[in-house]
Amino acid sequence: MIKHFLNLEWKQFKRASYFQKGLAIKILLFLAVLYFGGIAIFIGGIMFFGLEKAFPDVDPIVMVNNYLIYWILFELMIRYFMQQLPVMNIKPLMIIPVKRNTIIHYLLGKTILSFFNFISLFLFLPFSIVLLFQGYPVIKVVLWFIAIMCINLSINFLNFLINKSNTVFYGIASVVIVVISLRYFNIFDVTEPIGKLFNGLYNQPFFALIPLLLMLGLYKVNFDFIRKGFYLDGAISKKVKEVEATDLSWMDRFGSMAPFLKNDVKMIWRNARPKQVLMMSFLFLFYGLIFYTQDIYRDMPAFLAFASIFVTGGFLLSFGQLVPSWDSEYYKMLMSQNIPYRQYLESKWYLMVVAVAVSFVLSTPYIYFGWEIFGMIAAGALFNIGLNTFITLFGGALNRVPIELNTKAKAFSNTNGFNPTQLLIALPKMVLPMLLFYIPYKLINFNAGLIALALSGVIGLVFKNFFLNKIEGIYQKGKYKTIAAFSEKK
Amino acid sequence: MITVSNLSKSYNGVQVLNLENLDIPKGQSFGLVGNNGAGKTTFFSLLLDLIQPTTGYIKNKNVLVHESEDWKPFTSSFIDESFLIGYLTAEEYFYFIGELRGENKSDVDSLLAQFEDFFHDEILGKKKYLRDLSKGNQKKAGIVAALIGNPEVIILDEPFANLDPTTQIRLKQIIKHLAEKQGVTVLVSSHDLMHVTDVCERIVVLEKGEMVKDLATSEATLKELEAHFSN
Repeated sequence: MIKHFLNLEWKQFKRASYFQKGLAIKILLFLAVLYFGGIAIFIGGIMFFGLEKAFPDVDPIVMVNNYLIYWILFELMIRYFMQQLPVMNIKPLMIIPVKRNTIIHYLLGKTILSFFNFISLFLFLPFSIVLLFQGYPVIKVVLWFIAIMCINLSINFLNFLINKSNTVFYGIASVVIVVISLRYFNIFDVTEPIGKLFNGLYNQPFFALIPLLLMLGLYKVNFDFIRKGFYLDGAISKKVKEVEATDLSWMDRFGSMAPFLKNDVKMIWRNARPKQVLMMSFLFLFYGLIFYTQDIYRDMPAFLAFASIFVTGGFLLSFGQLVPSWDSEYYKMLMSQNIPYRQYLESKWYLMVVAVAVSFVLSTPYIYFGWEIFGMIAAGALFNIGLNTFITLFGGALNRVPIELNTKAKAFSNTNGFNPTQLLIALPKMVLPMLLFYIPYKLINFNAGLIALALSGVIGLVFKNFFLNKIEGIYQKGKYKTIAAFSEKK
Repeated sequence: MITVSNLSKSYNGVQVLNLENLDIPKGQSFGLVGNNGAGKTTFFSLLLDLIQPTTGYIKNKNVLVHESEDWKPFTSSFIDESFLIGYLTAEEYFYFIGELRGENKSDVDSLLAQFEDFFHDEILGKKKYLRDLSKGNQKKAGIVAALIGNPEVIILDEPFANLDPTTQIRLKQIIKHLAEKQGVTVLVSSHDLMHVTDVCERIVVLEKGEMVKDLATSEATLKELEAHFSN
């Protein structure tokens, strides 16, 4: 039986849409996997020596154990947002004469091969090997490693429970928040007792049984959960959510753009994928912290310009680059309804402009880093509004990959709406502002750079109609191709 | 109202539709029948400028469909579920379409009030997104949305499929009423010969992209169609 399953799995993999994309994508994906895998192995390999050097008086393994909890929480978070229980595929299997238990065991077993599980493996395997070479006791290290892997798989199974049940999610989320705030306000550092727990795990090898049992327990819970819900209306059914109705009539003041804007707001709010993007673009706001806090970048203001684009442009870049794709599910309707293309594009443009403006307001705390930095952010925002919006819309015209709105993007199958043209079009979005700033900066001074960057945005705004007309022409020309591509089965 | 001239569509050299001449006058209820792959949906897609004709053209009220967008204000359609916006509720969707077609909430509401029995209490006020409705109910919402904004041409692809018997009967009345009383040109395709003969004044049979029959509906039409399709 398993043989059949594996055969199906292989076909699914080989014939998956992301695998049938161009060679360039395949190579990129392969490199990405290599890259992340390589980084994990590398970090795992040097972790011991790095820690030994940084904290000479603490045993590296103790150090790792002390902070292991943060890794676990981080992993849990990443998985929550990225990993999905592959339970949807069992529908066709339900009526075939296969034992339910076999299917469920297989299903759960399959998740062990998830990419996420390998991150930990790649990280801790080299670390453990280094430990062995350093003469740490073999039994302790091996059992510790096994324990970590069991914890890793426990997270794997725990994640599915969290994903399926809101109560578990809110429970865990509040525990995490409490723990972090307790530590932040110096009331109680939970790191220490938990660190002790993990150290105990290392010192008393037979404690490795606990994570093992934990893993088996969670496996059992998952198993029962799916077993109980092994009906069309059970675990595999889509969650039908109650409508969250919000009154958006205040947006009517945007005139002919209003119906589209209202629609886009609902689209973002009610679908998993755009929500994910919105969350990501919020994180972009903090991008500046990486650059502005480091002194090396103070002397390379071109990089500060680069960062400034991201601070206000998170939504613009991540949402905007997929512009027609967001409406791919009902694109045919839009194209045959009473909608001039121009209006459609303009409403998207307004949405991005509003997003940049909101991000700009949210970025005011950056004044803390000085007016120069904030001026840079302001100039970047102007550039984003005046030029980047148009470049992004233009890039969208070349993007014909449909998006499933209510499905979370998965890691490494996240090529939905991603292609090499996209990559090319992303270049000017980032390089152009750097040049616009850097050349006057080199020739004249810092302020001249700022003014040039801001001015380019203003000029873009002045030519708004010209740009939109041009872009409309391109969209119009690609209309049939886009419709055909969007109606392809995913 | 609609004039088709020398229209053909080919994919990689394979012709899927070839209509030399077809005139659909204003206010006609026009039925399109044919087996799978006969070219019904292709024709409708050409009519809505969703695909490009290989040769020839369609004129909708003297507007060249593939060159101008001016046919959009008076033409509406429901082809398949991809015409629905899944994350909206039925009401929100109707209002959205209404706004696109220059109607305000109360216009839409008064139109919807006429279809209360058509909805059978399963569409409005359900607090459900369209994507969570059953196929049949999605179809009902889509068909009614196509009636919003007083269109002069309405295109419905397989409107009877997936509908329950009560709704099918009600839909037939609606279509008839549109064509006879309001002078709306209604284009319908269907696999159900009985329904088409009930509803349409004129029936065209497509076979492998060619028009093989063009009938004015009469008592004998159903028999003729059945005879045609049974060999």
